[in-house]
Amino acid sequence: MNAVAGSRHVGRPEIEPDFDPTVIWLAAALLGLGAVMVYSASIAIAEAASFSDGQPHYYLVRHLISLGVGLAAAIAVLLVPMRCWQIAAPFLFMACVVLLVVVLIPGVGREVNGSQRWLGYGAMSLQPSELAKLFVVLYAADYTVRKASHMASLRRGFLPMFSVMLLTGALLLQEPDFGAFAVITAVAMGVLFLGGMNWKLFAILAVLLVSGFVILIWSSPYRMERVLGFMDPWADPFGRGYQLSHALIAFGRGEWFGVGLGASVEKLFYLPEAHTDFLLAVIAEELGFAGVVATIGAFAWLSLRAISIGNQAARLERHFSALVAQGVGLWIAVQTMINMGVNMGLLPTKGLTLPLLSYGGSSLVASCMALGLLMRVDYENRQLMKGYTL
Amino acid sequence: MRSRTHSARNVRLPVWRARVLVLLVCAGFMTLAARALYLQGLNKDFLQARGESRYARTIDAVANRGTITDRNGDPLAISTPVESVWASPQDARLSSAQRAKLARVLDMPVRSLARRLADGEREFVYLKRQLPPEVAAKVVALNLPGIFLQREYRRYYPAAEVAAHVIGFTSVDDRGQEGIELAYQDWLAGKPGSRRVIKDRLGRIVEDVERMSAPRDGRSLALSIDRNVQYLAYRELRNAAIAHHAKAASIVVLDVHSGEVLALANWPSYNPNNRDTFHTKRTRNRAVVDLFEPGSTLKPFTAAAAMDAGLLDPGTVIDVESGRLRVGNRTIRDVHSDGDFLTVAQVIQKSSNVGSAKIALSMDPQDLWQVLTTAGFGATPRSGFPGEASGRLRDFDHWKPIEQATVSYGHGISVSLLQLARAYTVFATDGILAPLTFVRRDASVPGQRVISARTARLVRTMLESVTEPGGTALQARVTGYRVAGKTGTVHKLVNGAYAPDRYISSFVGLAPTSRPRLVVAVMIDEPEGEKYYGGEVAAPVFREVTAGALRVLGVPPDNIEDIRRPLDDELPREEV
Repeated sequence: MNAVAGSRHVGRPEIEPDFDPTVIWLAAALLGLGAVMVYSASIAIAEAASFSDGQPHYYLVRHLISLGVGLAAAIAVLLVPMRCWQIAAPFLFMACVVLLVVVLIPGVGREVNGSQRWLGYGAMSLQPSELAKLFVVLYAADYTVRKASHMASLRRGFLPMFSVMLLTGALLLQEPDFGAFAVITAVAMGVLFLGGMNWKLFAILAVLLVSGFVILIWSSPYRMERVLGFMDPWADPFGRGYQLSHALIAFGRGEWFGVGLGASVEKLFYLPEAHTDFLLAVIAEELGFAGVVATIGAFAWLSLRAISIGNQAARLERHFSALVAQGVGLWIAVQTMINMGVNMGLLPTKGLTLPLLSYGGSSLVASCMALGLLMRVDYENRQLMKGYTL
Repeated sequence: MRSRTHSARNVRLPVWRARVLVLLVCAGFMTLAARALYLQGLNKDFLQARGESRYARTIDAVANRGTITDRNGDPLAISTPVESVWASPQDARLSSAQRAKLARVLDMPVRSLARRLADGEREFVYLKRQLPPEVAAKVVALNLPGIFLQREYRRYYPAAEVAAHVIGFTSVDDRGQEGIELAYQDWLAGKPGSRRVIKDRLGRIVEDVERMSAPRDGRSLALSIDRNVQYLAYRELRNAAIAHHAKAASIVVLDVHSGEVLALANWPSYNPNNRDTFHTKRTRNRAVVDLFEPGSTLKPFTAAAAMDAGLLDPGTVIDVESGRLRVGNRTIRDVHSDGDFLTVAQVIQKSSNVGSAKIALSMDPQDLWQVLTTAGFGATPRSGFPGEASGRLRDFDHWKPIEQATVSYGHGISVSLLQLARAYTVFATDGILAPLTFVRRDASVPGQRVISARTARLVRTMLESVTEPGGTALQARVTGYRVAGKTGTVHKLVNGAYAPDRYISSFVGLAPTSRPRLVVAVMIDEPEGEKYYGGEVAAPVFREVTAGALRVLGVPPDNIEDIRRPLDDELPREEV
């Protein structure tokens, strides 16, 4: 931190901040909103749960601890120069893949609701797939920069990354964690695309993926029903459509300005996962359309800001940093969109948290670290613009 | 390791690609905002209706049932809040240890608890209804998922079996089933209100949306019953019934002027607070719904009818033909006959069947029928009590001479004890029959004249002689008061024939004779043992209850010089 603080240029009349105030304010707003809404959404279930000892702030306390850990981790990330991150990227990713293997070992990984995603217990539990999201950004950025001259080539530019992704994806689907799979694939492909991957290749790949997916669904009525079930939750509102129908009811009840903070009915045991994956539905019910649009706006702004920081880094010829910043932006945007789309019935229900807001330690810490990376990139940009060398 | 400068030289990050990304991010978030706008702005009515159907419920706001009190305001039936335990088997996933604990608190077998919780599809099943608050608190303390309490009102009867037959009882759903609870259901029952609430998924109310109608509590009801007299009546009746090994027994105490029922009890009784004691044998209000042949207690009406018709006076001498009278092909007998001639007063005092029959046969049958009918025989007493029996009194047009003769001493006619007691008010009130009621009367209600005042007073004097030396009911005498009354003992009718060794013994009396205030009618069904005459079995009950009731009501004694006159050793026995 000393290095950061000491580098401030004292003599300038108009002081350019060392850190992007937009990112700080948006992050603070989203994390604050998250803490408030997690508390609101979890009071009732915490009181009723057998393990919480009747403590209404059971989840809030844990969320705040995760938040503290996340902020500490973000500051730690911020102190590490991008140069080091680039060097460490492949090793971090490899370590992460190892963890993804470890979590699948019976007896080591912990299973919750049919998914084996967790290592360790209680406050010390870790979800490797959340770390994978963070490190895939670093890895993909580093890979793209390393293979820059082969980016137009299918064999040398695309296939190695494709096989790494295939491996990672297979591990994630073993848990299974479709949400993480979707996010990681999207981020990795996105970073390759930004890094100059042959766009025709991309187009072909996209067409192949989409048509393969469609054929897969079309070929089996059962699969079709499973995938398309979300489109009409009212066909089976007490079975498969249960969770989504309650999320939609929460949106409808919220109207323009919501029923008021704390007044949600859906969170009273009707809506499962109200404090995690379906936190947006509670926001929609309690704070209304205004609250939802504000949340969407904040995430959009944050993602665009990340892309713009990336563009700035690109202009400074700092390609790794540029891709990391844009990768972080892409990750936040993709995960937010999928989560919100699920909440609003635009996408099939998949377990995926709302970054920075939802309850869930690994997710919260990983998103905080991502913001730390983003701010590091921005900090280095600013230092260079001010004429310092790193 | 690679150097950064090396990679920087080769890399070209195409700016347009970042722009595509920006566009996609913007489009994505715009789509989400549009979707939110649709859900929260346009489709909200549909979604809210769906939500309503899930967690908005109209619930009844329980209304309190009115209290029943005695005439002095002492409670006889009150509603107390209780808790019923119900479960949502869907949510009640209990370990076997939890189940055992719950079963122990609820005092029910673990197996039947398990059976109730077995159907995981159901959302509501009662586990145990109407628990006292302390047990309910124990259930709450167990803190089990899917187990809930529901506030209900339970009827509590402080007088228990003492007033059970009058008050009756309510069903578990608080509807009157018997007695006053049934008769005054509409008066006592409140009107439940309803309100619209939102419940959480565990069934707890989290929000009152609107109150649709306020609950209206039921009105309270003051009965004509006097709790002290009722208690006394029940206690004495019970003691007598047990002492004489009777099958059943009934007693009615009336206020002669107002027609109010001051006490009415039957034995065997039941405890309305304990549904296990409910068997029709016990819950039947025999005094109101059961019929019996009254026997000699009907004779005063015969005498009254004859005197009212101007045929004879108390002093008129009747030839009782040594206790044998042949009517058609049947013979009417007196068990004990002291001689050939009795006055009308002696016919009553000594309870002569032959004398009574001869009086009746000397009359126009219509005159006798008229008095019996206006005195309320053969018709329901219209006391407002459910299930009143009307009894049987054949129309005089169809009477054969033998019928005319037997009716005069209470055979071939059936009455309820309540009817009989009411009819005796005629002698107590100088000829007026007051309408019966079980509800406290604050203003007097005009009655109907049955016989002339003179006749009534004359009969009253004759009835007093029954309790005097030479009468059949010396044991009815009450210290300090003059009392009048008539015994009755009949063989029971079993399958249309008189059973030789089964009796119904009764005594109906009034007190004090000088200014009558009470009519007390006692009926003992099948007393066993040496004693079975009405004067031996029923009259002592009359004595105890009348003595107590007159004191409770503060009636001044009319026989202060009293009365330790030596009684004749030999008690004349009435006719059977």
